[in-house]
Amino acid sequence: MIELVNVRKVFNPKTVNENVAIKGLNLKIDKGEFVAVIGSNGAGKSTMLNLIAGILQPDGGHILAGGRDITALADHSRASFIGSVFQDPLSGTAKSLTIEENMAIALKRGRGRWFRKGVNRKNRQFFAEKLAALGLGLENRLKTNAGLLSGGQRQCLTLLMAVMANPEILLLDEHTAALDPKTAELVMRLTAKLVEEMNLTCLMVTHNMKQAIEYGSRIIMMHGGEVVVDVRGADRQGLKVADLMHMFEKVRGEGLEDDKLLLS
Amino acid sequence: MTAYALLGAVEHGLMFSLMALGVFLTFRALDFPDLSVDGSFPLGAAVCAVCITKGVNPYAAVAAAGIAGACAGSVTAFLNTKLKILNLLAGILTMIASYSVILRIMGMPNLPLLGYDTIFTPIESLGFAPQTAAIIFSGCAAALTALFLIWFFHTDMGLALRATGDNMKMVRAQGISTDRMIFIGVSASNGLVAVCGGIAAQSLGFADVNMGIGTVVAGLASVIVGEALLSSRSVLRAVAGVILGSMIYRLAIAYALSFQIGEFRFSPGDLNMITAVIVIAALSFPGLRRKVGVGR
Repeated sequence: MIELVNVRKVFNPKTVNENVAIKGLNLKIDKGEFVAVIGSNGAGKSTMLNLIAGILQPDGGHILAGGRDITALADHSRASFIGSVFQDPLSGTAKSLTIEENMAIALKRGRGRWFRKGVNRKNRQFFAEKLAALGLGLENRLKTNAGLLSGGQRQCLTLLMAVMANPEILLLDEHTAALDPKTAELVMRLTAKLVEEMNLTCLMVTHNMKQAIEYGSRIIMMHGGEVVVDVRGADRQGLKVADLMHMFEKVRGEGLEDDKLLLS
Repeated sequence: MTAYALLGAVEHGLMFSLMALGVFLTFRALDFPDLSVDGSFPLGAAVCAVCITKGVNPYAAVAAAGIAGACAGSVTAFLNTKLKILNLLAGILTMIASYSVILRIMGMPNLPLLGYDTIFTPIESLGFAPQTAAIIFSGCAAALTALFLIWFFHTDMGLALRATGDNMKMVRAQGISTDRMIFIGVSASNGLVAVCGGIAAQSLGFADVNMGIGTVVAGLASVIVGEALLSSRSVLRAVAGVILGSMIYRLAIAYALSFQIGEFRFSPGDLNMITAVIVIAALSFPGLRRKVGVGR
């Protein structure tokens, strides 16, 4: 489904701040896989996601989706088959537009946007049904500006919007990291449900190893711009947080005292 | 303030609300501080004036002005989106360049239109005084433009444009080309401003290369005064606020010019200072209102 072939990304090339974020990354993700991506800060996790989404352009290599080379495709052109949810709950919705207007924008993803009315009676009904399934009561607040919602509510809305136009791939960049534990749990359960129902291929960057083990059908660990651990299939069975920690320490060759991992 | 000055303020308020709506489209809806309107206003006036002196129908001349303005706007959008020039600077560059274009189009810095038929002539021929005719025409034009904008802002394209001014990251993730939205928004805005320039030239009876100075600030003043009065919670309120703001701004200017303490009077040369003070007052008004405890 997604294939990264020898992908390289260098920030600030030829300066003292040169930073090789991704070095010669090769990764093949099959359709329907739920890949949890873990690793310390600066390992290149978010960079990889941004390269797949097209927000960043690689300095070398190719990115393929469904066998098609999408390396040169702009991010907004990739949006027809890629849905993204970011860490910042505020970045997934337009605050000055109402909930239904935000959803109308998401519904038209990958289609022409001309002079049809954005929100009509039919799709308003559809939006209300989708929101009702969240159990947050948002279906009664369709005309409320998205800016008035809480972070958790906005992240749930973003998630709905990310999958509304039936993408094949869902990219989640620490999408629960900025939420309180209870809301994070809610968003994560919703994520798993949508991925399951829509049979999405999903990449989720997380700092939370428990979350990675609970939801990932495949777990990859990145370090220094490379995939250093890739657990799937039979090895994935019975994997525990402690095992992951052990692998992580081995990779780093040092303790974890100064790392910012969440060990919940 | 005399009744004549009052009517004049209403006339100008309605007429220039078209320009203010254009400024609203870029500054507020698109969050693109577009300074090229200082150039597209006189550009519209120049194109319109030249067309009329060449015998073109005045309404067609206004349409031509709008197209010229949209072209100027698309240059700004091109500089910003394709050549990655900062939006403020892109606007200034277009503005500067358009002065040369205006001089080329008119062949002289000032082109009088006295004696030609204008867009107001058909209304005047119904028996209305020139000023009344201008108020009727401008009022209709402002109402139609406002209705059009309110409709547009609720279409798929309008939603995408508003979202672009709000959250570019989200907009691109939702498959919208922000470059395209900037092109559409800035072109439409400058087209609207140039139409206003064309109407103003016919009302004033001339086109002048320097008539655009301060257009942006006047437009912004109208937008901000409107927001201070009506808030911008919904599209309807925001658009209505711009027209109301434009009228209040012109009334405030007219009032200031008629103001007299002893020997002191404001002169037209003080207009820029008065405008600045109005903008400052309108900008600080919401904060002041909160401080003295008057709720929204």
